Amino acid sequence: MKRLLAGLGFWLLSQNALAFDLDQLSAQLAEPAVVRGPLIQEKHLRALPQPLTSRGQFVLSRDLGLLWRLQSPLKQDYRIDSQGIAKRTPSGWQQQPGQDVAAQQSRLFLAVLKGDHSGLARDFELQLSGTADAWQLRLVPNSVLLKQIFSRIQIDGGALVQRIELHETQGDHSVLRLPESQAGDALSEQERRDFAQ
Amino acid sequence: MLSERWLPRGFLLLLAALLALAAWQWRNGPPVAADMLALLPAGNGDELVQQAEQRMQEPLNRDLLLLIGHPQRDQAIALVQQVGKQWRGSGRFAQVQWSVDNDLAALRDYLRSNRLSLLPTADRQLLLEQPQQLIEQRAAQLFDTFAGFSLLPIEQDWLGLGLRAQQALNPGSRIQADLSSGALLLEEPGMTWALLRASAQGSAFDMQEPPLIAAQVAATRTQIETAGGQLLAAGGVLYAAAGQAKATREISLIGGGATLGTLLLLLLAFRRVRVLVSLLPIGMALLAGCTACVLVFGQINALTLVLGASLVGVAADYPQHYLSKSWSNAEGSEGWSSWGALRATLPGLSLSLGTNLIGYLALAFTPFPALTQVALFSAAGLIAAYLCSVCLLPAWLRGLQLSPSPQLLSLSQRLLAGRVRLLAKIGSAPLLALLLLFCAGGLWQLHTQNDLRQWLGQEPQLLAEAQRIAELTGQQPTSQFFLVRAANPQQLLERQAALSQRLDQAVQNGQLRDYRALSQLVAPDSQLQELRAALGALPQHWQPLLDLGIPPAALHNELLELQQNNQASLEQALASPLGEAWRPLWLGANTEGVAGLVSLQGLSNSAELKPLIEDMPGVQLVDRISELNALFSATQLSAAELKFISSVAILLLLCLPFGLGGALRVVCLPLLAALAALACLGWLGQPLTLFSLFGLLLITAIGVDYAILMRENIGGPAVSLLGTLLSALTSWLSFGLLLISDTPAIANFGLAISLGLLFCFLLAPWAGTRPATDKQAQTL
Repeated sequence: MKRLLAGLGFWLLSQNALAFDLDQLSAQLAEPAVVRGPLIQEKHLRALPQPLTSRGQFVLSRDLGLLWRLQSPLKQDYRIDSQGIAKRTPSGWQQQPGQDVAAQQSRLFLAVLKGDHSGLARDFELQLSGTADAWQLRLVPNSVLLKQIFSRIQIDGGALVQRIELHETQGDHSVLRLPESQAGDALSEQERRDFAQ
Repeated sequence: MLSERWLPRGFLLLLAALLALAAWQWRNGPPVAADMLALLPAGNGDELVQQAEQRMQEPLNRDLLLLIGHPQRDQAIALVQQVGKQWRGSGRFAQVQWSVDNDLAALRDYLRSNRLSLLPTADRQLLLEQPQQLIEQRAAQLFDTFAGFSLLPIEQDWLGLGLRAQQALNPGSRIQADLSSGALLLEEPGMTWALLRASAQGSAFDMQEPPLIAAQVAATRTQIETAGGQLLAAGGVLYAAAGQAKATREISLIGGGATLGTLLLLLLAFRRVRVLVSLLPIGMALLAGCTACVLVFGQINALTLVLGASLVGVAADYPQHYLSKSWSNAEGSEGWSSWGALRATLPGLSLSLGTNLIGYLALAFTPFPALTQVALFSAAGLIAAYLCSVCLLPAWLRGLQLSPSPQLLSLSQRLLAGRVRLLAKIGSAPLLALLLLFCAGGLWQLHTQNDLRQWLGQEPQLLAEAQRIAELTGQQPTSQFFLVRAANPQQLLERQAALSQRLDQAVQNGQLRDYRALSQLVAPDSQLQELRAALGALPQHWQPLLDLGIPPAALHNELLELQQNNQASLEQALASPLGEAWRPLWLGANTEGVAGLVSLQGLSNSAELKPLIEDMPGVQLVDRISELNALFSATQLSAAELKFISSVAILLLLCLPFGLGGALRVVCLPLLAALAALACLGWLGQPLTLFSLFGLLLITAIGVDYAILMRENIGGPAVSLLGTLLSALTSWLSFGLLLISDTPAIANFGLAISLGLLFCFLLAPWAGTRPATDKQAQTL
């Protein structure tokens, strides 16, 4: 019996040592200074046979935040950083009312992309499975208010985030795909300007 | 004599009855109210206006708002949760709220069936005038990643009207619920504030609760600051607690100081410990005043107590009338006897009571509940002090050998001699001319000032915190609001909607930050019909939505639902989870119909609102503050009339003993003193306020005492002057101490009376008759 227990303990320890954990995921996602790529957003509505699909480009900077550029069918640029969310208008970036629920959602969004699990752990129960090359993070909200909005969020990735699925409590769900993201070293001149304004 | 035996017994019987009544009144703790504003005149509006005012005032009195700040968002949330649980556990509050755990399902249901009714003005216009744009905006929104969180699922809200209505529910508010904890947060660079709202149990203005709540806030402040945070608190309860603490401090200072001073004065003058029983009328006066107020008004206000504490000086005067006569007897062979001195001075004493009563009762006819209370308090107190001085004290002072200080008498004689020399050199007429010149100069410089703020002592710390909270939350409730009357709820909504249109204009012009009207929660039928008609034309414009693949049937179904769904009635809407913020605005039905309010936020100038509603039926601007300020000014005139009437009454009373000529002389002196006091205010650069005017009203009544003492001239002018001096000193002690009050109204009152009494004393010798001066020469 004693031997069995000791064996079990050892097995658990080794599993822990081998498993891919949240800290490792964070470190892995925080490695590149810049990530760029195309984005595809699909809103799957129960009432529609086909999802509402939009396409665009994104730039994620480890230090500065996220540029989110929807190109079709809607043309709209967003910038999400520590200040909150800003929208590009003909007269320049316009900071959105910082207290809006959308701002909180965007903060959540940024935390997801950056793999900032300490920020996420406050609002969700996190379950990580898989390996460093193919992992899956499942987020289940733990507050009464969030539970009435999302039933779960699922993130898939390897070296970088590849796919985010948001399941709304009311049955609709959205899928965000970042299929060809590239890690880079530095922002372009234009991108730097976008973050600076 | 028989009366010497029965008077004290009768009085003691009366005292026992009074004590029993007082004890019964205090059986549930002190019946003292701390609400200073309750002492302001009731508005001249009808019952409905007063009901509305009460409705708007209630949350201000009862609610407490805390902002708990911490540089770290998590810490702010943790702190508010910790404090919220403590407060809820304390059982001191009817309600403690620091988070929303809204039942979103109920909210969704209501929003779904009433979105048309809830549509804000801008979106309504868009639907009526540019439906094409409404559709295009919606189509773009459906692809937008960050379009915002929508309560209704898209397939219930293809047209997006639900999302528009939802976004209007919390307009301009900077407070946002944290999605995970539900905490209500305000973000500021470098600081996150968490909001906590608590309602006091019962009234904020009973005496027990406010200090306890203020102590709890103080403890919470320490706790939060220890954790590296910051606390801001605002609420009527805190003002009540501060006001109460201040009143208690002032009552003990003024009452205690005056009593102690009088005590020392008595010891110094008469040099016998037993003479201290003559402090008894003071106690009697306070006891009777208090009991009478509670009997008539149900309770006594703290402000009445502060002003009433100054009665100490007047009540202490009565025994002086006969005690001071001991100087005249000290020289004679037969010693001073209490009953004998009383008999000699009783007419003067009674006249004093009569004139004092006339003066104080004149206060009762001002439209200020505060002064009505003070008048009753003082009248009852004076009668009790008089009875005590006449019935009981002589018995207790019986056989006492007073040893009055001869130095005081010689001082008084020297003063009179000095006056005689001065008059011989200059004469009365030039002196009078000089005084009148002084008065004219002072009156020239006098300016009036009337402002509600004089009622409220300043609490800079509380004020600063409240202002900071208003800045942070953007919520700046104003005391002005609109009262809208109508025959039925539909008409009420129509009228509020019409008013809202004009208020929208005022918001655009920057005259107003925001407002809340019942028509925002429930659109009137006429508006709904317009909207439904516009909805009918929508299919011509919705091609962009069809292009997305939305089935036409889905759009048609939604349209049908919007057009046919019965919107909630006003009462249903108010009962719904969305209705909470609007509930206080509904006054319900009355005999003439229904009534509701429109509340305002961040008003820059209330005068700009008046023209807005000129031609609107059933709409009334209720502006208590300007009404009160106007009333303050109008009352000045009636105070002057009262002063005239009370002077005539005193004149008539004094005609009995002194004849018309003597009475005129005795009354004119305090009037002249009041005038001089007024001039002094001018020279000092002090404003004439309603309260200084009331103070001057009293001067006639109290100051006439001194003239009577001098006129009666029992025991000679030197003795009479000494009696006057003692009276004046005790009065100065008490009224002068009002100057230290933090409440400008009270300090101003004290200043006017102190100045007036000084002049009364200086002028009193002129009340004496010529033969009296001859008599004095003989005795000397």
